[in-house]
Amino acid sequence: MSREGPALETLLRRLAETPEDFLAEPRIGRGGSLNVSALVGDLLRSFGHTPDPSIASLFTGAHASQDRNRLMVVSLLCWLLTDTWFRDRSPEPAELMSLLRDEATELAKLTAAKKFVTDPERREELGRVALARLGLRPAGESDAQAQDRLTTISSAERARVVKASSAAMKRAREIRAALVRKAAEESADKYTRE
Amino acid sequence: MSSDAPIDAERYPTLTEHGRQMMAFLREHPNAPRFRNESGNRLLSDDVKRVREIEREMLALDASWPRDREPEWLNQFLIRALEGVPHYRNYGSPPRRLADLPTISRAELSRDIAQFVPDAVAADRLINFRTSGTTGHPLLLASHPVVAASYLTFHKRALRRFGVELRAKRGEVGVVLLGLQRKCFTYVSVTPTMDEAGLAKINLHPDDWRDPADRVRYLEALAPEVITGDPISFAELLRLEANVRPRALLSTSMALLPGLRQQLEAQFGCPVLDLYSLNEAGPIAVADPSAGGHVVLQPHMFIEIVDAYGQPVPEGERGEITLTGGFNFCLPLVRYRTGDFASLKFFGPEPVLVQLEGRPPVRFRTTAGDWINNIEITHALRGFAIPQCTVHQAKDGTLRMALNRGPSDVPAIRQALLLLFGAEQRLEIDETAMFDGKVVQYTSELIESA
Repeated sequence: MSREGPALETLLRRLAETPEDFLAEPRIGRGGSLNVSALVGDLLRSFGHTPDPSIASLFTGAHASQDRNRLMVVSLLCWLLTDTWFRDRSPEPAELMSLLRDEATELAKLTAAKKFVTDPERREELGRVALARLGLRPAGESDAQAQDRLTTISSAERARVVKASSAAMKRAREIRAALVRKAAEESADKYTRE
Repeated sequence: MSSDAPIDAERYPTLTEHGRQMMAFLREHPNAPRFRNESGNRLLSDDVKRVREIEREMLALDASWPRDREPEWLNQFLIRALEGVPHYRNYGSPPRRLADLPTISRAELSRDIAQFVPDAVAADRLINFRTSGTTGHPLLLASHPVVAASYLTFHKRALRRFGVELRAKRGEVGVVLLGLQRKCFTYVSVTPTMDEAGLAKINLHPDDWRDPADRVRYLEALAPEVITGDPISFAELLRLEANVRPRALLSTSMALLPGLRQQLEAQFGCPVLDLYSLNEAGPIAVADPSAGGHVVLQPHMFIEIVDAYGQPVPEGERGEITLTGGFNFCLPLVRYRTGDFASLKFFGPEPVLVQLEGRPPVRFRTTAGDWINNIEITHALRGFAIPQCTVHQAKDGTLRMALNRGPSDVPAIRQALLLLFGAEQRLEIDETAMFDGKVVQYTSELIESA
């Protein structure tokens, strides 16, 4: 049974008004400016927790192609959780880490981070997922209502992505087959050859 | 030939009687070589229109970008690439600065090229271009007949720079592509956007001809408007002394040294263009000595010069040429590291690739114990008509140069290298080398201590 959390509208407005600082490029290798592990550390400290040393490696990227979007989602969650409602109640470290580490990774696989700011449906998804991971439900909703809405919005997105990804696998097979079928130089004339 | 080999209607969908006659002329000429293969433009009539539109649009646009910022088209290009191309989709949201995105290289493309083909491109019209380069990473690249035909747009841009406007038409030969290899893909075709002007890809190797003397007779009979090739086939063309007057020669595939270029210009009385062109991206830049390097050709191609970490280096500093954009709509590139090196400088408003060299820099040790970059060897050799060469420094410091003998002066080459390395330098020159395609030009077994 979840506890009542903040009003969803407050969180969605907060996400829509995410400051540029939290949308900055995460520091990965020599690129980027935003130190996401420092952001996570500050957040935990603001709740009175002592950050585990492992957060340095968890929230520092090694490969931009794998880590960039994930760290951008973590940054957005940090901004969301800086809301006074959470500060006054200090969520548990284990729940926070589960949200910032596991859920952010899953969300980043499906959605480009800035969509959680610009797209109303994805904003709602991020707000609801964050609350659910912290054992909360939006103010004014029953457990059943909150669960139902979260399932609808998340599963619709996941279904879309699963469908898209199986279509993508089929398409990749078609592309590979099409390319192999047409031998290079038989394919088409060029004025020069490299 | 296999039963699923394309038929003429697929190879030349818009062929008219004029085109048919041109191909018959090219194929059945009494001095014609043995054509070993078939190709074709594969352009449907809508494609021909599209190629013409692309040409109009591209030739009207400036290929440069502002010195102090990224070009305006780049933002929209990145939005489309990060939404519509499977590999780039993993990057997430478009960045504020291009350099915040990761670089890619041949390794990523060769892992699975399908991940780089935009969702919106239909698979059934895809064609491929296979490239092995010098790295041993074989690559199968996605392309399209419209892309292949659009190479000509960028050749035209390059030629305009040298005062040449192509005008070959029906009944004339637009281009002869030269090769000089034991085994070479050869064919005839016509170019629909040039009113079915003829195209012949031929091999100057004597084995491809009934009589080696036919090479000159055939070239003279074709009188092509343009001849394209590489420094090796052009050195052979010089040797043959064919009495042809093309309006331009286009050299690709490997660096054309100024010495050979000057000899070609003198013999054929036309501009000789040294194109920097990659299978991955098409014609990228053309050498223009008056601009001090290679000037860019594609209006929707942004070039960064990056360091080992993928970060842009300051203007004028050497680094790896990294491409974003391009006209191959089947393979949009986002920060593609080419494996080629240069610096980028602006001459007026125009970005220019300076001292372009394939492959990462290699350091050589002189007899005085100084370390020099391979580019200094290229400089020392620039006056010679060497079609292709390699220079290797052994562990004991000995230099071994291998070159295929073009019209070059070996004692003078030796002298130039000794001037650079010191009179005491041990130097072996093999002037009988036969190279099979592209090679790694500079190698060394010596390791520079820190």
